[in-house]
Amino acid sequence: MIRIDNLHKRFGDVRAVDGVSFSADDGQVTGLLGPNGAGKTTTLRMLYTLMRPDEGQILVDGIDAVADPQGARFALGVLPDQSGLYPRLTAREHIEYFGELQGVTGADLRSRTDHLLTMLDMKEIADRRVAGFSHGERTKTALARAIVHNPKNVLLDEPTNGLDVMSTRAVREIIRRLKDEGHTVLFSSHVMQEVSALCDTMVVIARGKIVGSGSPDDLRRQTGHQNLEDAFVALSGLEPEGSPS
Amino acid sequence: MRSTPATQIAVVIRKELRDWSRDRRSIITVLVSSLLAPGLIFFLFNSMANRQRSVEDVSIPVVGAAYAPAFVDWLRQQPGVTVTDGPKDPEDAVRTRREDAIVVIPENFAKNFAASKPAMIRLVADSSSQNSRPKVQRVRAVLQRYNAEIGSLRLIARGISPVVATAVQVEDVEVSSSQQRAAQILGFIPLFVMISAFTGAMAISTDSTAGERERGSFEALLVNPAPRIAIAAGKWLAGSLTGMLTVLITGALLFAMFKQLPLQDLGIRFRLGTPELLRTLSVVLPLCPLIVAIQLYVATFAKSFKEAQSYLSFLMMAQIVPGMMATMNTMSTKAWMYYVPWIGQQTLLTDVLGNKPISPVVFVIVGVINVTLSVAVLRAASGLLHREKIIFGR
Repeated sequence: MIRIDNLHKRFGDVRAVDGVSFSADDGQVTGLLGPNGAGKTTTLRMLYTLMRPDEGQILVDGIDAVADPQGARFALGVLPDQSGLYPRLTAREHIEYFGELQGVTGADLRSRTDHLLTMLDMKEIADRRVAGFSHGERTKTALARAIVHNPKNVLLDEPTNGLDVMSTRAVREIIRRLKDEGHTVLFSSHVMQEVSALCDTMVVIARGKIVGSGSPDDLRRQTGHQNLEDAFVALSGLEPEGSPS
Repeated sequence: MRSTPATQIAVVIRKELRDWSRDRRSIITVLVSSLLAPGLIFFLFNSMANRQRSVEDVSIPVVGAAYAPAFVDWLRQQPGVTVTDGPKDPEDAVRTRREDAIVVIPENFAKNFAASKPAMIRLVADSSSQNSRPKVQRVRAVLQRYNAEIGSLRLIARGISPVVATAVQVEDVEVSSSQQRAAQILGFIPLFVMISAFTGAMAISTDSTAGERERGSFEALLVNPAPRIAIAAGKWLAGSLTGMLTVLITGALLFAMFKQLPLQDLGIRFRLGTPELLRTLSVVLPLCPLIVAIQLYVATFAKSFKEAQSYLSFLMMAQIVPGMMATMNTMSTKAWMYYVPWIGQQTLLTDVLGNKPISPVVFVIVGVINVTLSVAVLRAASGLLHREKIIFGR
C-alpha cells in the first residue's frame, strides 16, 4: 500500500513534480501514465527513496519513506529507470546478490531464485553470464532480482519499454501474478494500451501534475471520450490548439 | 529476516571479488604490476654483475710480444689474464672500438730493460669511452704490479730492502660507482611496492564506482535496503584485499629474486630475509586501505570507467612524487616524516631495508593514523552516494 501526498520536486527552475498525490492499493495494479518528461520517473525515484522530495509525504505500508528511507526499502521491490547489469555475473548470481542484500539466504534463496527463473522462462540462460543477453533477457534478469525478496510493494519504471512480444507477455504475466498474490503493483508507462490492459487504476500525469485518475471507465466518463487514447490525449493536454476534438 | 549491515558488507565483498576474478584485464594488471619491481631490479643487478665479471677476466692484446718474452710469460701467469696477438694498427683498433686497451712493446724494450733503465711499454686506450674504462684500469694495474715486482727484485739484488722504496702506502677504500648504483636501485624498492599496491586495487576501485555509473547499475544497487556506508565499505574492503594480494605477490617475488641475485659479486651487503620481508609488508599493507579509500572517493566522481582511470593515473603520479624526492636527494630523515602517509612508509621502508632499528611504537602510531584517515575518507566517499547528481548523473 502506497500513499503519496502533495509531492514536489524542482530542478533549478523546472518544476518536475508539482503537487502529485495518489495512492496504490494492495491487490491492485496502478498505472502511472504520461508522456515523456511528464514527471513519472522523478515521482518513482522519490517513491523508491533515491531522491528527496522538496515537499510532500510518502507512505509505504505506513512507513514514512522520507524520514525512514531504509525501512521503506525493505518493503519495496524496484525495477528502476536504469537497470544495468554486471556483465561478468550470471543471471542467477544477479538474483542471489540482491536477495542476499535483502536478507534472503540459504534454501529460501535457492527456491525463490528457481521459482523466478521458471516463472520468467529463464532456466536455460540462468547460469550464463549476462554479457551476451538480449534486451528482453536483461529486463527479465533485472525484474527477477528486483522481486527476489517477495516485496509487498513492487515499483516498475517502464518495464516493457523496448521489449519484444514474448518478453512483454512474460512481464505482464508477472504483474498479474503479483496482483493475484495481493501485492501492490505500481508501474509507469507512456503506452496507453499497456496501461489499459493491466491496470485497475490509472493515474495520468502531465507536466508534473496529476490530470486524471480512476479506473479506465472513470476516465472515459471524465473526459467524455469513448476511446481511451483520446481520453489520454485530452487529459495530458497534448492536443494541438484549434484541432477538432 | 532482514539483513544486517555486517552481512551486507560481506555480500558486497564477495560479489566484487567474484566479479574481479572473472576480469582477465584486472588479473593481468595484478601480475604485471607485481612483476614490475622484481623484474626491473633483477635485470639491473644482473647486468651490473656481468659487467663486473667481464672486467675481472681480461684478455690483453699485445703487439711486439717477441721483444719481451719474459714479460709476456709473466702476464700469462696472472690470474684472469689471457694474452692475445695485437692487431697491426693498434691505435686504429682502439679508435674504432674494436679493442678497449692494447699493450704495445717497442723494439728497444729488451735493451733498456737489461740496462735497468725505464723500459717503455705503450698502453693504447681511449679515455673518452666510458665502457672501456674499467678494463683499461685493470690492465694498468697489472702493468704496475709488474713494475713493482721487478723494481723490488732489483733493490734486493743491490742489498736494499724494497720497503724503503715505499714511502707511502695507499689503501683503497672501495666506494665504487657500481655500489652506489646498487644502493640507488635498492632505494626504489619501497616506491615499487607502493605502486603495486595502487595498481592492484585500481580495478575494483574504478569498476565498482564509475563502472556502476557507466553501466547504470548504481540505481538498482542503492535501492536495496543496505546503508550506503555498508555498500561503500564492501567495495572498499574488496579493493583493499586485491591491493594487499598484489603487495604480497610482489613481496614474495622480491624475496625469491634476492635469493638468486649475485649480490656478493657486487660487494653489496644487503639481505632481504624473512624478517626484512615481514617488516616491509607490515609497513605497506596498512597503507592499502587508505589508498583504496582515496581511489574510491576520486573514482566516484567519474562518469565512466575511462575517466576514472585517468583520474587515478594522476593520483598515482602524485603518490610517486614524495618517494622520488626521498630517493633522489636522500633528504635527511626528520621525525615528522614517519607520520605523514606515503612519506612515512617511504622513510620506514628505507630504514627497514637499511637495517636500521625502528621502535614498534612508530609502527603502531603509523598504523593508527592510516586506519583513522581511511575511515574518514571512506565516510566521505559513502556520503557521495547520497548525492542525486552522483546516483543519476550519467
